[in-house]
Amino acid sequence: MTETPPPTAGVPCPKCGAETAPDDAFCEACGTPLGATPAPTPGTAGTAPVPAPAADEKAPFDDLGSGPISAVTAGVGTPAAPSAGRRPCLNCGGEVGPDLYCQTCGTKAPSERDHFREQPASWVAGVCDRGITHARNEDAMALMADEQPGSRAVLVVLDGVSNSVDSDVASLAGARAALGVLRTPLPQGMGTPESRLAAVTKVMTDATTAAQEAIVATTAAESTNPASATYTAAVLEGDRVVYANVGDSRIYWLPDTGDGVQLSVDDSAAQMQIAAGVPRKEAETGPQAHAITKWLGRDSQDFSPRVGERTLTDPGWLLVCSDGLWNYASEPAQLAEQIAAAGTQDPAELALRLVEFANGRGGQDNITAAVARVGAPATGQNADGAAAVPEAAPSTTAPTTTPTTTAPGAGPSEGESDG
Amino acid sequence: MAEFTAAVYQNEFLPDGGTDVNAIVTVTCNNAGVAGQTGGGDAGEIIIVDTSGSMGDETMAAAKQAAQAALAEIVDGTWFSVIGGSDRAYLAYPRVTSGPGMVQMTPQTRNEASGAINDFRSAGGTAIGTWLDLAGVLFNSVPQVRQKHALLLTDGENREAPGALDEAIRRATGVFQCDCRGAGTDWQVDEVRRIAQALLGTVDIIPKPSEMQAQFQEIMRKAMSRGVSDAQLRVWTPQGAQVLYVRQVSPTVEDLTDRRVAVNDLTGAYPTGAWSDESRDYHVAVRLAAKAVGQEQLAARVQIALGDDIAAQGLVKATWSNNAELTTRIDEQVAHYTGQTELATAIQEGLAAKAAGDEATATTKLGRAVQLAAATGNDEATSKLRKVVDVDNEKEGTVRLKRAVDKADEMALDTASTKTTRIKK
Repeated sequence: MTETPPPTAGVPCPKCGAETAPDDAFCEACGTPLGATPAPTPGTAGTAPVPAPAADEKAPFDDLGSGPISAVTAGVGTPAAPSAGRRPCLNCGGEVGPDLYCQTCGTKAPSERDHFREQPASWVAGVCDRGITHARNEDAMALMADEQPGSRAVLVVLDGVSNSVDSDVASLAGARAALGVLRTPLPQGMGTPESRLAAVTKVMTDATTAAQEAIVATTAAESTNPASATYTAAVLEGDRVVYANVGDSRIYWLPDTGDGVQLSVDDSAAQMQIAAGVPRKEAETGPQAHAITKWLGRDSQDFSPRVGERTLTDPGWLLVCSDGLWNYASEPAQLAEQIAAAGTQDPAELALRLVEFANGRGGQDNITAAVARVGAPATGQNADGAAAVPEAAPSTTAPTTTPTTTAPGAGPSEGESDG
Repeated sequence: MAEFTAAVYQNEFLPDGGTDVNAIVTVTCNNAGVAGQTGGGDAGEIIIVDTSGSMGDETMAAAKQAAQAALAEIVDGTWFSVIGGSDRAYLAYPRVTSGPGMVQMTPQTRNEASGAINDFRSAGGTAIGTWLDLAGVLFNSVPQVRQKHALLLTDGENREAPGALDEAIRRATGVFQCDCRGAGTDWQVDEVRRIAQALLGTVDIIPKPSEMQAQFQEIMRKAMSRGVSDAQLRVWTPQGAQVLYVRQVSPTVEDLTDRRVAVNDLTGAYPTGAWSDESRDYHVAVRLAAKAVGQEQLAARVQIALGDDIAAQGLVKATWSNNAELTTRIDEQVAHYTGQTELATAIQEGLAAKAAGDEATATTKLGRAVQLAAATGNDEATSKLRKVVDVDNEKEGTVRLKRAVDKADEMALDTASTKTTRIKK
């Protein structure tokens, strides 16, 4: 089961009036930042106080307000905050001063909206970062996971379109709305794979619609340049991943050994060129590379997601990311290389390393990397599903992929282009 | 309780690969109070009067009167003493040979000190180093005196062995502050300026004995208004950065770069002395390692510290950008004070060249000074320069050296060279 909100409701959202949970930092419905001092969850009240991350700091540059937006993390391996709950400097690890600059290297500490991390369970984590050249972080991320490694996780990533107004607010509201729909386990259908897929597709589409509605709800009525965003969600249940996307944020499956695959298919001009035979590298670096053909937002013509599923038989990493990351490593092999270079089994560490990698290459866009560990760590023995593995082990390349396209008007499936 | 504020003027945008950040930090003090009466320890004043044989009757009479007028400005309760200086220093008041060498001001001690000043007789040579040493001994004889200020009057060139004065200045540095005045035109601006700069004081010429009293009164009044006994300017820079320089640029140009005392690995402290209700500007230049376009970082935290308490802080930032419109702009304040600093140097170098008989260099330097004074709106410098050179073209900086120059005008230009004007708003 997923965690359920505590029975005691928080104060209604000051903006839209929707019900909120006491520990919500942002309104689930509209994305408005809630009170800067979240009430302690019942379980932790009175015990070791977890310092609220930079709760009452006025975040410069942050028109979202000053509340922490990270979800409560499982706290696995999280280093103790050096001062007043402020995260150590991202650049050098030094202490960040009350003026929000590092006391050692002077690097500006990002606001909570510009850089946030989530780790809902020991095996799932993500980092959402402004990058270097963009003025603000319009990417958004919402994660949840059950405690048991490999059980159930939801990873949602949205990339707000930077030339639209308030897309940072909208993308976060959308991500949280979608997560809300995906909190409960996916339906099993009538027993046949077809009926199950149809039922699952319905849920994935509902989640997309929830994100779409949240984005539209945060868009000012008079806006001539309404907020818009890409949408990507992955639901991992045991060895099965179901995914959906609109736009060009991506889902990759990167097994520890063997070739990785890009599960999602972009709705972008570049993807259309690739489909027409232009080499990927050329298409993805061309002038129209980042023009997306579908998106969420008030001016969206079609936001039906492309839904797919796949059974993951080997240990590895499921990665959901925005183009801020894959711009620098589009091929699954390139990403696998970065994962190997990170050399860690800790998802929080890995997500951070991937963001650092993109920033190290220039950080030309907002960067989001959310990862879930599937199967036992590469160094340990096989744990879950070890019995099922033996005969499937030699063939690591997607024997059970079920590419589907259910969106009306999305055209026939072109299959998994990277499979 | 004194309140400090700090304001930063800069263009924080650096081009791709840019490394040098310049900023003007204006530090303002309000509610400073009265010297020795703000709980930060007692105040002490020492009046040092040249009693060498060169002091003519008229100058000596004026000096006595001026010193007595200065006594009148010292607030009751302030510790004080009076030194007479010739080829050695002697303690004119209080007349003690051991124990504390200062007494607290009361109507009675003021009277007695006036009497001691009346007894001054001019005789002997000039050994300013010994005067400074005695002042240091006297200040240190009263431990509760925290704010230490001296007023020094001389009329002649120092006659000590080479290096002796510099040694004495070094001993006095950080012990007390000293405002210096030269009477007439037989003293060396350069020499006295060295004392004043090291001891965080002012230097000026008193050409006529009749002007002495007013100057002394003003100096002492100002000293009494400094209710903040001592403040430090602290400059934090990030790891790997280099402080290119730290200068006070208003009200006068004083290079503080070499006076850095390390507070920790990344922070240096620079002395600023006592503060009244006033505003001073500092020019801080820092060299950073260049970062990628789009990165923002702190280049310096500029703080004013009272003891270990930070009373105010200004943040100097750096943001790398490839927007040339942003990166090519030079902050108005930075430009203004860069010009004023160059003006001070041009005047001093020009006068030095003139004294050495190098007329070509003198003409070029003073011409540049005329140009800079006009461009930065320093009217005082302009009018003082015009007493030394004939100006052909102010904008171009073409001048001719005047053939007959009043020595006092030249010295006045020299002593005033470090005075700056604020930017006209």
